[in-house]
Amino acid sequence: MITVLVAPPFATVQDLGRTGYRDVGVPVSGLADRDSGIALNSLLGNDSNAAMIEWAVAGGVLRFDSSAIVAVGGADATCFVNGRELSPWTAIEVSTGDELRIERIIRRRFLLVAVRGGVDVPSIMGSRSTLLSAAIGGFNGRRLRAGDRLPIGDSELAAPGSVTLLTQRAVNDDAVHARRGPQAMLFDDRAWTTFLGTNFTVSRASDRTGYRLEGVTLTHGGAASLPSEPTCVGAIQVPDGGSPIVIMNDGPTVGGYPKIAVIRSSWLSRFAQRAPGDTVRFVLDD
Amino acid sequence: MTAADDAPIIVRLGDDALIITFAQSISWDVGVRVRAAAMRIRNMQINSVIDVVPAYTTIAVYFDCVLTSFESAAAAIAAAVNMAEEGAQDHSTLIEIPVRYDGADLSEVAERTGLTIEGVIELHSSRTYRAYMSGFAPGFTYLGELDDALVLPRRAVPRVHVAAGSVAIAGAQTSVYPLNTPGGWHLIGTTSAVMFDALRDPPALVRAGDSVRFVRVDS
Repeated sequence: MITVLVAPPFATVQDLGRTGYRDVGVPVSGLADRDSGIALNSLLGNDSNAAMIEWAVAGGVLRFDSSAIVAVGGADATCFVNGRELSPWTAIEVSTGDELRIERIIRRRFLLVAVRGGVDVPSIMGSRSTLLSAAIGGFNGRRLRAGDRLPIGDSELAAPGSVTLLTQRAVNDDAVHARRGPQAMLFDDRAWTTFLGTNFTVSRASDRTGYRLEGVTLTHGGAASLPSEPTCVGAIQVPDGGSPIVIMNDGPTVGGYPKIAVIRSSWLSRFAQRAPGDTVRFVLDD
Repeated sequence: MTAADDAPIIVRLGDDALIITFAQSISWDVGVRVRAAAMRIRNMQINSVIDVVPAYTTIAVYFDCVLTSFESAAAAIAAAVNMAEEGAQDHSTLIEIPVRYDGADLSEVAERTGLTIEGVIELHSSRTYRAYMSGFAPGFTYLGELDDALVLPRRAVPRVHVAAGSVAIAGAQTSVYPLNTPGGWHLIGTTSAVMFDALRDPPALVRAGDSVRFVRVDS
């Protein structure tokens, strides 16, 4: 068991998401930074879909009620185990009673806390991911709170010891790569020049359903809204006001706003790590 | 309209999905074609296909871009998409939803439509609706079409909190909010029916293609 002693404002259990139910309005959910999740699971010898804690906004404390092998990654954060600083992307063994203190997140958005064997909450509709809007998955369908006790799954492999991931991902402020969206042609050359020439700021009004981008507004020549059609994680839609919104993992499955572009799947994790106030610009790959 | 104009168009939706457009405007007949084609694509059981999601006039096919590409996925489903539909029909279930007509906006709806409260209830509960599309929230389906006399624009200011089980109308559509969510529709009643239950199989009570009747119950 892992006991939450001090919870941050936002921490949920996530795996790689829930597919097969988008046709009844259930978003895929899952880790926003799935690349880091897959890397941590690989480091710990877990199945790539093993669930972990997606931790955001502020610090907190976890206590291990049994020995376990733990690693953190994703956002840059200051973490200590029993007072000793814990490096990211490094699997360490903790003993019963040891405490992992996350002091604060320094940059980027989501710190992932993974444990060997995975966080063993029940699988709901094929996934352990939390979907807050429907109160399903994860730990009782909600954010973690102080006092919550998370079971750790079984693992049969030999202990990996202290393996360090060689390809620690660099901080990346590069432009985010995207492809033209299904309604790209509704936007004229001027709108495209504006879209690709702007350093947008990720709004404070951004969460796991969508990231609002501030900076300039975009106009298009089409109707304000189309018959609602399916959308996807990473779709950059332009509502009436002209400020783009990027659909994220818990976002709606359908929408009627024109989609100017869609973020490349290989860039989604890096985009998801942009925190409120961070900037983002886009380059087009096709 | 020529056959070529009528052919569905397949475009990319990012790296790991494509979207097939059957028509530019919403109609029940288009929805029937869309769902029939979605069923044919599902029945192909292509192992790189993760999700097939029909909407009003479109289908999205989500695929594993490690296993296939947009071009290959589009080619694989083209035959199923373009197959002539001879008398396509939905596998439709009729679902009855009990409603207490006690919604917070019921008297306002009566006032704005020039009907009595009884008149609103009578018009809303006297026809069979069809489920055009799911979306917005898990288990939410857009049901149409309302009697013309009940058509009102959405509320100018959406509510931050609408309770699960609220029966609502907006435009020519009606629905039940399956979860506690924000919402901009007019609330006319409440139901005890559970529209979405993650532990039930299937989780959604109403699916696109189904028929729905609202049955008045006493409060």
